[in-house]
Amino acid sequence: MKAEKRPAKRGSLRRREAAAGLLFVTPQIIHFFVFFLFPLCLCVYAAFTNWNILSPKQTFVAFRNFQRMFADPKFWIALKNTFYYLIPIPFYMVLSLAFAHYCHTKKPGERTFRVIYYLPYISSIVALTLIWKWLFNSQYGIVNNFLALFGISGPNWLGDPVWTRRMIVFMIAWKMIGITSIYYIAALKNVPVSYYEAARIDGASSWQQFRQITLPLITPTTFYLLLTCLIGSLQTFLEVQLFTEDGGRNYGVASVIYYVWQKAFQSSQMGYACAAALVFGSFIMIVTIIQFVASRKWVYEGE
Amino acid sequence: MNLKKKWSPGTIFAFTIVFLGACTMILPFVWMISTSLKEANLVYKIPPEWLPNPVDWKNYIEIWKAADLVTGIFNSCLITAVVLTCSTLTSTMSAFAFSKLRFPGSSVIFLMLMSTMMVPGVVLLVPSFILYSKLGWIDTLLPLIVPVSLCNISNIFFMRQFMTGLPKGYLDAALIDGCSYFKAYWRIFLPMCKPAIVTNGIMLFMGTWNDYMGPMIYTHSPEKRTIQLAIALLSSHYEQQTDIPLVMAASLIALLPVLILFITCQKYFVDSLALTGIKG
Repeated sequence: MKAEKRPAKRGSLRRREAAAGLLFVTPQIIHFFVFFLFPLCLCVYAAFTNWNILSPKQTFVAFRNFQRMFADPKFWIALKNTFYYLIPIPFYMVLSLAFAHYCHTKKPGERTFRVIYYLPYISSIVALTLIWKWLFNSQYGIVNNFLALFGISGPNWLGDPVWTRRMIVFMIAWKMIGITSIYYIAALKNVPVSYYEAARIDGASSWQQFRQITLPLITPTTFYLLLTCLIGSLQTFLEVQLFTEDGGRNYGVASVIYYVWQKAFQSSQMGYACAAALVFGSFIMIVTIIQFVASRKWVYEGE
Repeated sequence: MNLKKKWSPGTIFAFTIVFLGACTMILPFVWMISTSLKEANLVYKIPPEWLPNPVDWKNYIEIWKAADLVTGIFNSCLITAVVLTCSTLTSTMSAFAFSKLRFPGSSVIFLMLMSTMMVPGVVLLVPSFILYSKLGWIDTLLPLIVPVSLCNISNIFFMRQFMTGLPKGYLDAALIDGCSYFKAYWRIFLPMCKPAIVTNGIMLFMGTWNDYMGPMIYTHSPEKRTIQLAIALLSSHYEQQTDIPLVMAASLIALLPVLILFITCQKYFVDSLALTGIKG
């Protein structure tokens, strides 16, 4: 009898474990269906309607939203600007690698410098833009005053979209150096010291060591950073929203996300905004997949 | 190490460059503090003065009248407190289940959750708003609290990694002693996760306190404003009409909680920054 009871008890124990497990992940399952899958489907559906938050009526419009979007010059300007905001990525990645190298080799003051370099990243974007607006004020801003010392008359940073764009690019780099350097510092720590010792015995210069050992071995980190920074920068929005009104003169500062946001929340064309978001979201996913495929060619995978 | 070796010409060069970089990182903040202590009419002085003369503290008193910061701080504190508590609980519970319990479909569910990271946020921006408006959540704090509290995928992923490293023997021992699964989680595994919780909590605090996009889209009425929203509204787009010292004082107030946390828990901060993803 005892032999019969045991498996039954084990079975009930397993059932209890299964019940507990499922119960513990219930919030995530609810979240997945309610706040992820449902909105995702809604986005696809709404993209083919003329959904407007003000009127309850929605009619099916087939591909008209997409046609309208591709015919809208504002969308193309926004797309061009969005690509412009990708410019700082290689620059701040190189700079942060240099800074990480500085910290890794325990050069003077590295601890203090690290804290200072992380400051911009942890600060709220609202406060940062307020500070930047004041720094780059065309008449009284400290930046133009500084340029005046060298006899350069500073541009109208906030009024001229070309210069606002440049300012935003600079701000993105300024903000990201600290955080990306953290990843590089961790990566540099993982390169085995023995490799360098072997190279030194073979007479490799420090530049050769960096080129032949360090760079290839930290490619996984470079790949990860490139991926996340690209996804992040393609979705630039807050800088545009906080620095400009209506995307700047001639829409010269607006990004695609800004375009989507304006369509949805300022002219309440929900269906149209969903269509634009869907197209651009798919584009981001394709870029991500291409990067993954291309990574096989250049990312070090370990031995 | 002797001094000569430490300060080789190359090092001096590198130090100078890094030092100049550090200046660009910190000077905007110094300038903010300096401006916030100036009298309004001295702000437009050319050439600019780095040390305010006279030092004027009244901006820090006036700001409380100029903007409704009390409501903003109250709402932000409320959101942050609820999100921190709930999200930590749900993340650790599901991480416990994923790493220590066997239940049907556990790997499928985990993959399902991970797949959500592949979809860019922009796709969900508009439909989420529609969903919240159907739920009657617009102009409440719920959209800022509920979704994050239910599921924070990067948090769960990290917690699962951490808990996988804890020995399973603790669970078996607890069960033999007659503990329920919840009790085993609550009494044994949750306390052991303290370092991971602190690390994630800092990031979560920073993200929630600094969040501007969510409150901007989902709330309208003044009573529902968060601190970031209240401060963003202070600055009109026409720079000349704004009281600059007041705005600078306000931005310092918005920065302060995170800054204090950053300076006091520096070590934890660096660890948590390294663990969580980057947002551009």
